[in-house]
Amino acid sequence: MTMTVELPALERTDAMASQASPARLRRYARPALGLLLPVGLALFWELWVGLGYSTGRLVPPPTKIFATVMELAKSGELSRHITATVTRVAAGFGLGVAAGTVLGAISGYWGLARQLLDPTVQALRAIPSIAWVPLFILWLGIFETSKIALIAVGVFFPVYLGVMGAILSVDRKIVEVGRTFRLSGPAMIRRILLPAVLPAYVVALRVGLGLGWMFVVAAEFMGASEGLGYLLIDGQQLGKPAQIVAAIVIFAILGKTTDWLIEIATAPMLRWQDAFGRQSGAA
Amino acid sequence: MLALDRVGKTYPNGVHALERFSAEIRPGEIVAIIGGSGCGKSTLLRAIAGLDRASTGTVTLDDIAITAPHAKIGIIFQEPRLLPWLSVADNIGFGLTDLPADARREKVARALARVGLADKAKAWPRELSGGQAQRVAIARALVPQPQVLLLDEPFSALDAFTRRDLQDHLLDLWNDTRPTLVLVTHDVDEAVVLADRVLVMRPRPGRLFEVIRINLTRPRDRSSPLFENFKRHVLTSLDRSLDRNVPDADPKTMAGEAMWW
Repeated sequence: MTMTVELPALERTDAMASQASPARLRRYARPALGLLLPVGLALFWELWVGLGYSTGRLVPPPTKIFATVMELAKSGELSRHITATVTRVAAGFGLGVAAGTVLGAISGYWGLARQLLDPTVQALRAIPSIAWVPLFILWLGIFETSKIALIAVGVFFPVYLGVMGAILSVDRKIVEVGRTFRLSGPAMIRRILLPAVLPAYVVALRVGLGLGWMFVVAAEFMGASEGLGYLLIDGQQLGKPAQIVAAIVIFAILGKTTDWLIEIATAPMLRWQDAFGRQSGAA
Repeated sequence: MLALDRVGKTYPNGVHALERFSAEIRPGEIVAIIGGSGCGKSTLLRAIAGLDRASTGTVTLDDIAITAPHAKIGIIFQEPRLLPWLSVADNIGFGLTDLPADARREKVARALARVGLADKAKAWPRELSGGQAQRVAIARALVPQPQVLLLDEPFSALDAFTRRDLQDHLLDLWNDTRPTLVLVTHDVDEAVVLADRVLVMRPRPGRLFEVIRINLTRPRDRSSPLFENFKRHVLTSLDRSLDRNVPDADPKTMAGEAMWW
C-alpha cells in the first residue's frame, strides 16, 4: 500500500525538479516529432524527382504542388473556389446544427417526443447520406440548394444524437440540486442543463463539422462549376494531379482550421473540465 | 416547528417504504434518524425536503405543508453534488441569485472563510478532496440561512478522521444560527455525538421504533463512559428493532398520533 502510494510521488518530484527548461523543449519537441514523417517523405520525394529517378507526373513533387497553388491564387481562381466551398459548408453546417440542436433537445428533454421522433430519425440515419443525392437533385435542383441540403443532412445526425444523448445522461443528482434550490424551468435549463450538456455538444459540433467537410466534396462532385471539389474533378478530367493534391491539401488546412476555431471558441466555457488534466499532466 | 404527521410512502412499484411516521421537531433541535438498510430513513428525509411527496400523511413547517422544495429547508446529500462547471465560490453562491452581486460576494466570502476554504474560492470542484468538497456543500446549503437543514448520510463517504473533523465542524456551524438539523445516518457514533434525540427506525415497512434522548452537554467527549452508555443504548435499540418479536417501543406511534416530547 505504502509502496504503491510512494513510488509515483517520488517520480513526480523528480520530474518537477528537472522541469524548468526541458519541459518547454518537450512542448515543442512533441509536435516536431509528428512532423518528421510527412516532411521527411516530402523532402525525399522532392529529391527523388529532382534527381530524375521519377518524372513525378502522377505524383507531383511538393514544389510543383506549391507552384500550382500559387498560380491558382494569383489568378484569383483559388479564393473563388475556397469561398464557394466555405460558403456551402457554413450554410449546411448552420442548418444542420440548428435542426440537430432543436430536435435533439426536444427528444432529450421530452420523453413523448423522443418516442414519437427518435425511431424515425434513427431509421433515416441508417440511410447512407450520399443515397439522398439523386432525390435532392430532383427536388431541389442541381445548384446550391441541393448541395447545402446534403451537407446539412450529414451534419444533422451527429449533432442530434450528441444533444439528445447529452441531455439524457445529465446526472439526476445534479438536477436534484437545482430542484432543492427551487429553480424554475428556464433557470434549470440555463444553470444546470446547458452547462452539463456543453462538453458533449462541442464534441458533436466537431464531429458534425468533420462530416460537413466530407459531404461538401460529395456535393461538389455532383456538378459544380466552382469549389474545391470542382478543382478535384477538374484535375482528374484534365489530368492535372498537382491541382488535385493542392485541393486536398487546402481541404486539410481548412478542416483543421475550422475545427480548431470551434475548440478555441469553446475552450473558455470548458475550462472546468480540464482542470484535473492540467494538474496531473504537469507531472 | 417541523411536524411529521403519519407520513407514509408506497412507491409505484408497490414497495412499502415508510409507514405512519410521526414526530415533532423543535426549532434548533438536532435529530438523528438511524436504522438498518431499507428502513425508509432516506425516503423520510426526501419527503421532508419536498423532493418526493409522501403517499399519506403530511409534513409541515410552521403550519405550512411541504410538498415541494422550500426556501427554508436546505439539504446536504451523501455526495457533495457540486456543480463541476462552477468555481467553489460560485457553487456556494448558487442559491443566492436573488441578492445583488456584491452582497452575494460578501456572503460567499464569509461562508468560505467560515468553512476554512478561503484560499479555494477560485478552485474547481474537481480540485478538492472529499472532505473539502463536502465542506463546500455544507456552506452552499447554509448560506441561504435555512430554518431546517436536512443531511442524508453526509459524512459516510469520508474517512474516519475527516468524518470526525466535519462532525465537529458541523456543530460549530450549527451554533452560528441554530437551524433545526435532521440527520440520517447509519453511524451510531455520529448520531450520539450530534443529536439531541435519536429516532431509531425499523424496516419492512419503515417505521419509528424508539426515541432515545441524548442528555449530554456539548461539546461531547467521545471517550466518556456516559457517551459509551448512550452508544450502547442506541446499538441495543437497533438490534432489538431487527427482532420481529419485539413490538414497537412506543405504542402511541402505532396508534398514529402525533407525539409531543
